[in-house]
Amino acid sequence: MGDMSELKEREDKLQGVGSSLPRKEDARFIRGQGSYVDDIKLPGMLFGAVVRSPYAHARIKSIDKSKALAAPGVVAVLTADDLKPVNLHWMPTLGGDVQAVLADKKVCFQYQEVAMVLGTDRYAAYDGAALVEVDYEELPAIVDPKQSMAADAPVIREDIQEKKEVGHGPRTHPNHIFTWEAGDKAAADVAFASAPVTVREEILNPRVHPCPLETCGCVASFNKATGHLTVYMTTQAPHLVRTVLAMLSGIAESKIRVVGGDIGGGFGNKVPVYPGYVVAIVASIVTGVPIKWIESRIDNISTTGFARDYHCVGELAADADGRIKGLRFTALADHGAFNSHVSATKLPAGLFSICTGSYAIPNAYARVDAVYTNKAPGGVAYRCSLRVTEAIYLIERMMDVLAQKVGVDKAEIRRRNFVNAEQFPYTTSFGWTLDSGAYHGALEKVLKAVDYEGLRREQAARRADPNSPTLMGIGLSTFTEIVGAGPTKVCDILGIGLFDSCEIRVHPTGGVIARLGTMTQGQGHATTYAQIIATELGLPASDIVVEEGDTDKAPYGAGTWGSRSTPVSGAATAQAARKIKEKAKQIAAHLLEVGEGDLEWEIDRFKVRGNPGQAKTMKEICMAAHTSNIPAGMEQGLNAVSYYDPPNLTFPFGAYLCVVDVDRYTGEVKVRRFYALDDCGTRINPMVIEGQIHGGLTEAFAVAMGQQIPFDENGNHLGNSLMDYFLPTAVETPVWETDHTVTPCPHHPIGAKGVAESPHVGGIPCFSNAVIDAFAHLGVTHMDMPHSAWRVWQQCHALGLDRR
Amino acid sequence: MKVSLEKAYPVPASADTTWSLLQDIEAVAGCMPGARISERVDDRHYKGTVAVRFGPANMTFRGEVEVVSVEPPGRTLRLIGKGTDTTGGSGASMDLTARVEPLSVDSSNLVGTSEVSMSGKAATFGGRLAVPVAEQILQQFAANFAAKAKERQLAAAASAPAAEGTRAEVAAATAPTPAPPEKQLNALALLWSVIKATVRSWFSTRKA
Repeated sequence: MGDMSELKEREDKLQGVGSSLPRKEDARFIRGQGSYVDDIKLPGMLFGAVVRSPYAHARIKSIDKSKALAAPGVVAVLTADDLKPVNLHWMPTLGGDVQAVLADKKVCFQYQEVAMVLGTDRYAAYDGAALVEVDYEELPAIVDPKQSMAADAPVIREDIQEKKEVGHGPRTHPNHIFTWEAGDKAAADVAFASAPVTVREEILNPRVHPCPLETCGCVASFNKATGHLTVYMTTQAPHLVRTVLAMLSGIAESKIRVVGGDIGGGFGNKVPVYPGYVVAIVASIVTGVPIKWIESRIDNISTTGFARDYHCVGELAADADGRIKGLRFTALADHGAFNSHVSATKLPAGLFSICTGSYAIPNAYARVDAVYTNKAPGGVAYRCSLRVTEAIYLIERMMDVLAQKVGVDKAEIRRRNFVNAEQFPYTTSFGWTLDSGAYHGALEKVLKAVDYEGLRREQAARRADPNSPTLMGIGLSTFTEIVGAGPTKVCDILGIGLFDSCEIRVHPTGGVIARLGTMTQGQGHATTYAQIIATELGLPASDIVVEEGDTDKAPYGAGTWGSRSTPVSGAATAQAARKIKEKAKQIAAHLLEVGEGDLEWEIDRFKVRGNPGQAKTMKEICMAAHTSNIPAGMEQGLNAVSYYDPPNLTFPFGAYLCVVDVDRYTGEVKVRRFYALDDCGTRINPMVIEGQIHGGLTEAFAVAMGQQIPFDENGNHLGNSLMDYFLPTAVETPVWETDHTVTPCPHHPIGAKGVAESPHVGGIPCFSNAVIDAFAHLGVTHMDMPHSAWRVWQQCHALGLDRR
Repeated sequence: MKVSLEKAYPVPASADTTWSLLQDIEAVAGCMPGARISERVDDRHYKGTVAVRFGPANMTFRGEVEVVSVEPPGRTLRLIGKGTDTTGGSGASMDLTARVEPLSVDSSNLVGTSEVSMSGKAATFGGRLAVPVAEQILQQFAANFAAKAKERQLAAAASAPAAEGTRAEVAAATAPTPAPPEKQLNALALLWSVIKATVRSWFSTRKA
């Protein structure tokens, strides 16, 4: 046995798993030395500006380019007709549909891309775009998805009017996209028919936008001499994008290079391939010069990847004590004008069937009907796996509704229905196998930390006081997340399984380069992957360099979204490191002239069992691996690559509690306290986790309290600038208190589960539950988000609370 | 973004004079601040432009006016105007029914019911001010229209045999041509009158 303090010193030096190593990437970010796509300037580069439709639904009668072409600095104006010869005026979407790259004869949503003007600089391009004259004939627009399938509804997509399906089963109306069902309807109906208690609530998850600080954009550069296409772009999934580009353009995938670079936040918004990218790429292929296209904020919020817009109905059936016997959840999904919703091929409604949450519910049925409307296409996940926020919002809200109906406390209704710790692995009635969890313990820890009983007593006293100027609400959310897509047998995009990869090269002096198929957008991958390798290989994290996002360098992977980096690529990283460690062990045995079975691993070296003086450090082994002093027949080097196909998704969970005070005269909601306990299994870097939770909670606060993309009855976008769209700053954001438990994932090599999305998914219902709880004693069971002062005041006013 | 407006403006001219002016689409357009008829396609179809200055943004709507119906017995005219601003960022349309009601021998009421619909940036950014802005524009229109109607009334009176006094009055009224309609809506003046009207409306609500 080595001296304990010496062991600790060696371990600390590695800064491996469990260490709050400061983020390696921050040094360049805080110095303003990041390299974002708009920082890239190539010789001879032209700038593209998009001409967009002012109408939500209109026929294009004519497009007159002449004035634009005559403007100084304008080089070309591209319309659908110009893309037709290369057959790129339409493109396939990730949802099995097609989308107009540039509007072909009609526009189906406001701000739709109609033309792109190429100019010698940004100003020339934008001035040119204002001179393109488009003659429209306005058509009636569908804004409310409930009107989409009306018998006399205008047909939004004439191009697919006759098609019987668009990727996901039969269509029953020209504006119908798909109907998806899961679970056992008959069994659920039986449970409802015999249950003494049933509850039903209509719950909207409004259309919102992830609104990353950096908007989307690209620089496309096609070299006519070599036939190589390089695209610098804002993408969360560079390898998948390269595959899509190869399919679209016919250029060999080996001749396409997609580079992610630094990305200023994605949150799902940077997963899809947008028309702007495609036009820039086509323009570069045609002209042979680099083309830059960068969205404005209005472009970003109006046209690229919105989230949610799920109009849900939740129903629960329970016994007299509130033990749930049946669940029926349905949603009408507004997918906008094209089904470019990001979805795995077999999961058109994403992971919506995780909607049983943390609860043991024997009979369940879910159904989602997706329809077209005259709104921007999309339906990305906003800091959550696909449709998980919608599902968890519904179940966590319905738990409160049920508690109110049964007349028990909102913590107690959860205790009565949790999956018990000894039931794991637990298979839900929708077929997901929750691998691990300890829900009761997490909830009790939070309740104790905040003195829940005391809060409820204070609330009761406040409710009893008719002169109290504020209403007090206590919100709970005991959510289970589903992340880490995913097992290739269930999850694929365009037929490509959602495995991920890591390639590790160990150099003679112990420096390491690791390349992965994921793409950091602020998650801190350069730090956390290095920490996994540091612990696995006993080499210091400071000397481990992580590279992602350049498809010429990194091995294939599906990218970073759905909290999949740690569950999938983190696992690939550990597996690749373990391959190297295996080889290192053989070399160590050779060097120490003992059998491999005589060796044991200690932090950063292999020791001979029972002879502690005899050891080879990993650094010594690294050097030896590059010499002739290795076992006979072994190849030099210490490199490995691993492709990891996860056996299951991972299920991080948490228990959140929020206390709000609502001003009954103004409707203003003040978050007094927010306590968040997260369990993401093994914790790689507690500081990075803390940062992720702060970010996720802040975005949850944004969604619950203010974000919304409203439209008027003509389909005009009424919230596409930061004057209207709520992005919380330090001024509005509450103080977060964080806590954790650790329940390792049994099927992940290091037991980690992913964490970035939990605070968003779990946070939103917690805020809503708190606000609604403030009105619960007055019989209110639900209020739709966002809980802005105006909307909350309307509730106060309806109840007469604002009268003095 | 749809705005419905119903307004009545007194006109110092007989119902017949007002009605004849109302049917003169070019002259009516001339009363609209910033509006101009550029082409008469036929009796019922016109092309024209409306220029509006909103802060730093100049918007020129280019579009078509169609006279849908003219009903002399009820002195009622319906027209539909549609336009897109020349930068392509906004669209607007208006469905207007205007009726002339006699008040006395030399005065009448111009009653207008209109539904204005806006798209694009005009709706996104201008939507919240749409009603007060439209009201201000209409008020300027009504003032110009009334001036022109009075001018015609007096001209008609002048051409008919009449008393000396009236003649002098005619000369006085017609000699200096009324100020030409403004080329463009003055944003500052407009903004000021919108603010004034809004503030006034707060207090009138209070009293109510």
